[in-house]
Amino acid sequence: MSTKTPAAPAGQQAQQSSPRLPNPGTRRFFRTVEPYIWIAPSIILMAVFIVTPIIKVFQLSMNKVTRAGKLKGFNNFENFTNVMKDPAFSLVLKNTILWTVAVVVISTLLGFILALLLNNQFKGRKVARAIVVFPWATTLVIQASAWKFIVNTDYGTLNTLLMELKVISAPINWTSSPTAWFAWEIACGIFVTIPFVCFCVLSGLQSIDNSYYEAATVDGAGYFQKLFKITLPLVKSSLTVSTVLNIIYVFNSFPIIWTMTKGDPANHTDTLVTYLYKLAFYNGKQGEASAVSVIGFLILLVCASVYMIYTLRKGDEDL
Amino acid sequence: MKKILAALLATAMSLSLVACGGTPSTPSNPSSGSGSGSGSPDPAPSGDKIAINVIAAEYGKQTKDWWAGFQNDFNAANEGIDLKVEVVSWNDIYTVVNTRVSNNAAPDILNIDTFADYVGDDLLRPIKDFVSDETYAKFYPAFIEQSNIDGTIWAIPDLASARAMYYNKDILEAAGVDKVPTTWAELRAACEAIKAYDANIYPWGVDMTTDEGQACFAYYSWTNGGDFTDASGNWTLNSAENVEAVEYIVGLVKDGLTNSDPSTETRYNLQELFAAGKLAMMIGPNQISSYVASSENPISFGIASIPANEGKSTSSVGVMDRFMVFDNEDTDDKVEAIKTFFDFFYDDTRYSDWVIMEDFLPATSTGGKIMADANPDAASWIEIVGSAKFYPTAQAKWADVKQGVIDVEQQALLGGNVKELLDALQAKIAG
Repeated sequence: MSTKTPAAPAGQQAQQSSPRLPNPGTRRFFRTVEPYIWIAPSIILMAVFIVTPIIKVFQLSMNKVTRAGKLKGFNNFENFTNVMKDPAFSLVLKNTILWTVAVVVISTLLGFILALLLNNQFKGRKVARAIVVFPWATTLVIQASAWKFIVNTDYGTLNTLLMELKVISAPINWTSSPTAWFAWEIACGIFVTIPFVCFCVLSGLQSIDNSYYEAATVDGAGYFQKLFKITLPLVKSSLTVSTVLNIIYVFNSFPIIWTMTKGDPANHTDTLVTYLYKLAFYNGKQGEASAVSVIGFLILLVCASVYMIYTLRKGDEDL
Repeated sequence: MKKILAALLATAMSLSLVACGGTPSTPSNPSSGSGSGSGSPDPAPSGDKIAINVIAAEYGKQTKDWWAGFQNDFNAANEGIDLKVEVVSWNDIYTVVNTRVSNNAAPDILNIDTFADYVGDDLLRPIKDFVSDETYAKFYPAFIEQSNIDGTIWAIPDLASARAMYYNKDILEAAGVDKVPTTWAELRAACEAIKAYDANIYPWGVDMTTDEGQACFAYYSWTNGGDFTDASGNWTLNSAENVEAVEYIVGLVKDGLTNSDPSTETRYNLQELFAAGKLAMMIGPNQISSYVASSENPISFGIASIPANEGKSTSSVGVMDRFMVFDNEDTDDKVEAIKTFFDFFYDDTRYSDWVIMEDFLPATSTGGKIMADANPDAASWIEIVGSAKFYPTAQAKWADVKQGVIDVEQQALLGGNVKELLDALQAKIAG
């Protein structure tokens, strides 16, 4: 069935539209401005809720800001130099990169494998998919609190479970060092990120026509050949979207680290976002906190630009 | 074209996420987290009345209701004044106040902990101009002095709390500790005895977290003759007494005589362990008594002074919050209205009610007397708070020092040299 509506005779069209826009010039003008009227609400909302705060952050980062929030004028990028000079900053930057890379890479890998499993036909598939959604549907603060409770030495469920199973005889301190804490935080980050990757990939998998696999089977292709030659190329666009979004989300993630360690001890589990929060609200250095925010923004901008230029160029080549 | 499009897309995505990323500068709605809930005060009708706007910190579940009742009573008793109290949670109050200040809409009266930053920006007026002599005479002189900068008193205390040592009587008895420790050596010996008695019980509670690690520094520095500053107000962070104090407490942690993770276990975690009988001794505020008493199986506990080093005197750590008045170019009538507000608030009966409401301690001698008469248990705490030492919050660099000493403690736990760390902090703060 055609979706096109039959065209009305030209005279009839003119008759119908003439009462509204009698002048062809007015009609042309209306046609020109019409798209802008439609997108105006979005532009206004973005300007108020996105662009204005960003301008404010840049403004704060370049000004001397008192603890009471008063701007005292341009301070020659002193906020940036102060931040860079602090030895904690390089540690925090290193943590942020480790945190982002570990969470994004491992969750993408595990989410992909999980999506492959959930794409198979099996009994209880719907229930399994629902279970995978649970971590996604729960707030991060609750998730992080639950993980903190699980690994607690004194009343944590992990120790209780292992003692019940007679695996251990006395409670183990699972968080005896900053590295151990950071590893648990990364584990929590992976756990909450997997569902997003899984469902992005799953949507890509479901759009692959089964005939490709049937043809490959007829040609004698094995499981891994099908995976690398059919599945991966066809879900690449879904993976690209999930990876770019994940890099930005994970880089900016605040609740997990804040709930579990607040970046302690001595910034060893801080990322840029928790560090700038402490600078702003514990040290009262809003100017320096804004400088850290701007640095984070620039890092993300570079990462996202490189990734998107690369993938779009690849897209062109594929065409 | 594709490259430009890609760059634009990437910029838009990053921008949107940075904006959502919780930057400190995002203007927050002043009414968020404020008294707009069920317990919020009813707005009073305004006409030719003198308006007084108050921003008050939310201490607990009952604060909003208390202020709602106060506002209604005050407005009913003072027809020419329109009092509006906005109760804001501690998480939001600094952002709310800073946003108001930067928009030239500062409140008339603010109830918060720090004041030096506002003095530094010339935002406050000397509090003496707004408090009647009768009310001013009620405060403990030592408390008033905590708000002194260059000879001017900028704020008055609204309440206080003090710290002391809590100990589990049953555990100490079972471990053979006959005498409650009063010195550092006795404390270490008691901890070792408790550990030998039951390795699953933590002998001593330590909180070196970002939340309150500065209190830990004060507990051991002040009971070793050290301090954050000398008598002239110069920073003395790397004094020999302070180095010894930090080394002592880090030594207890490293010897396994404390809770396992002082960098992430807050005072609230410790009081849970204490109430559950898993922690034998800890330093905490007066509210712990009621916390333990309300638990399912209350333990038998005692309260004692914080142990001091040999030959040094003990000292309690006091914490106080304040009222301050912003410079809004007030008329004489407004000044009188604010005086009326403070007279009404510090009325002895009403003030005692305010302090008891969230289990705090009074900052006025008259309020203290009423509380001590009504509750003999409170009497000892009122005595403690009367002689407590306070953080040097009148110093402009206090926020940096506070975070700095916490960082030193945490670095020392990770193996850093205490002397070198405190030297570096002293150089950063004083240099």
